[in-house]
Amino acid sequence: MIKILAACGAGINSSHQIKTAIEEEMKKRGYDVAVDAVVVKDINQEMMERYDIFTPISKIKFSFDVDIPMVEAGPILYRIPAMANPVFDEIEKYVKEIQ
Amino acid sequence: MNTIIEIANKFFQPIIDLGAAPMMFILISILAILMGVKVGKAIQGGLMLGIALTGIGAVIDMLTGSFAPALQDFVLSTGIELNITDVGWAPLATITWGSAYTLFFLLVLVLVNLVLLGLNKTDTLDVDIFNFWHLSITGLLVLYYSDNLLLATALIILLGVLKFINADLMKPTFNDLLDMPDANPTTTTHMNFLLNPLIMLFDTIIDKLFPSLDKYDFDAAKLNEKVGFWGSKFAIGAYLGAFVGILGGQPVRDIFSLAFIGAASLELFSIVGTWFIAAMEPISQGITDFMSKRMEGRTFNIGIDWPFLAARPEMWAVANILAPIMLLLALILPGNNILPLGGIIAIGLTPALLVVSRGKMIRMIIIGVFMIPVFLWSGTAIAPFATNVANSVGAMPSGLAENALITHSTLEGPVEKFIAILVGQAGEGFNLGPVLMALAALVVYLGLFAWYAKKMKERNAVYAAEKTQE
Repeated sequence: MIKILAACGAGINSSHQIKTAIEEEMKKRGYDVAVDAVVVKDINQEMMERYDIFTPISKIKFSFDVDIPMVEAGPILYRIPAMANPVFDEIEKYVKEIQ
Repeated sequence: MNTIIEIANKFFQPIIDLGAAPMMFILISILAILMGVKVGKAIQGGLMLGIALTGIGAVIDMLTGSFAPALQDFVLSTGIELNITDVGWAPLATITWGSAYTLFFLLVLVLVNLVLLGLNKTDTLDVDIFNFWHLSITGLLVLYYSDNLLLATALIILLGVLKFINADLMKPTFNDLLDMPDANPTTTTHMNFLLNPLIMLFDTIIDKLFPSLDKYDFDAAKLNEKVGFWGSKFAIGAYLGAFVGILGGQPVRDIFSLAFIGAASLELFSIVGTWFIAAMEPISQGITDFMSKRMEGRTFNIGIDWPFLAARPEMWAVANILAPIMLLLALILPGNNILPLGGIIAIGLTPALLVVSRGKMIRMIIIGVFMIPVFLWSGTAIAPFATNVANSVGAMPSGLAENALITHSTLEGPVEKFIAILVGQAGEGFNLGPVLMALAALVVYLGLFAWYAKKMKERNAVYAAEKTQE
């Protein structure tokens, strides 16, 4: 089971949309992933270490280095498949590598 | 016309009589199916909405059931008239989506968006269907005061058009703040940014009076790290519960109980809030497909919810700093009846501060302090309405004192709430006094927006010039 961390500025709406979309799409593509949605300000190094892939809504800098692969997931929110697919492809690439 | 209304009433009344949760289950499912969503998905969304409505009712019940009596004691022992329970965004969102009028207003605004895009009056395609409730609440307010659907719809269209224009105006600033390439279509039509004109007014005054203020700015990310969990929802719920209990002269046992109920309610509100967003998922996709199909070949920006601003730590840092200030202001501000609780972290305010000041922390804090009274007064003004709507969708506990009210202390669009109340009062009997008041308010409001639009166009011209220089 690959663990993915989704994050946005409020932890309420956007990150949950990203979570649902990634879970559905990865299931469709035949991968078993679990996504958690959180608010960016609650992320610390300890939390990040528990995940395999990080999918924030937009580019984010932390005071610590992010060692896991990061995929910007904002385009998922446009709800237009052509724009979301590159994001899913990139996530799939990392999922394959990790497996 | 009358027969149409009669037939509609005959058809809809039995559905309305079922209560809010079943009614919205039926209406949302049907609307999603009409938008081309698969039947299973449509029903899944409808069911989730009914469940979210029921769930939010249970949490409001728990929170107000214990806080309303404690707040009464608080008023008695302190003499400070803060009898309105601040339930935060989720209950307000839910009860707004529990009204069938919200669906009607939404359909009108989808059409307005398509027409404006077709006429090239905006470049923004709004796919943030969930947050439409912020705008709908202004229409519901007009209806609460006047029962005049035409007037309510007119105000929805007017404010909706301003939201689209504002999304266009802010786009270059988002590119700047978030380092987005021009090809990135992200923008937002969120209602909180309709406060930009008023913030811009204060920002311009600071420019004129204290131009050197910004050199005292500090690092927001470091501050956020220090605050850590002490600024989280459940911690704040616990402090405020204890605060109410202590000042209300409650026994120790009840002080603890209020602290834990406050903390648990705030956590539960956001959990049930996410159900509710999941409920809107199928219909949001359906409406987006419907709109983008009609706009093929046209390039546009896409309006989503505001949290893509997450990369900027300033909005959280300022929200943390403003929270204790809001509590203090609430205690001494004349005309305020809210004790801040669910809405004390003012994320309905700080994103707009960030956009106007472009991340200058000291300005965000100072202007924020001046904006807080606007929110508290607005929250106080809409409390009877919010309580009434909550009652009508069955989300209020029974057996509460008559003067027990609920509201959201930092609800987005505080100025628009006053406009809606004035328009509603004008529409109540079209008497000269209220009509003149409403017209005067609209003229000032639109004048301020026009001035803001001019300032933003100047800002955008500077951005464009920088681009060509590169």
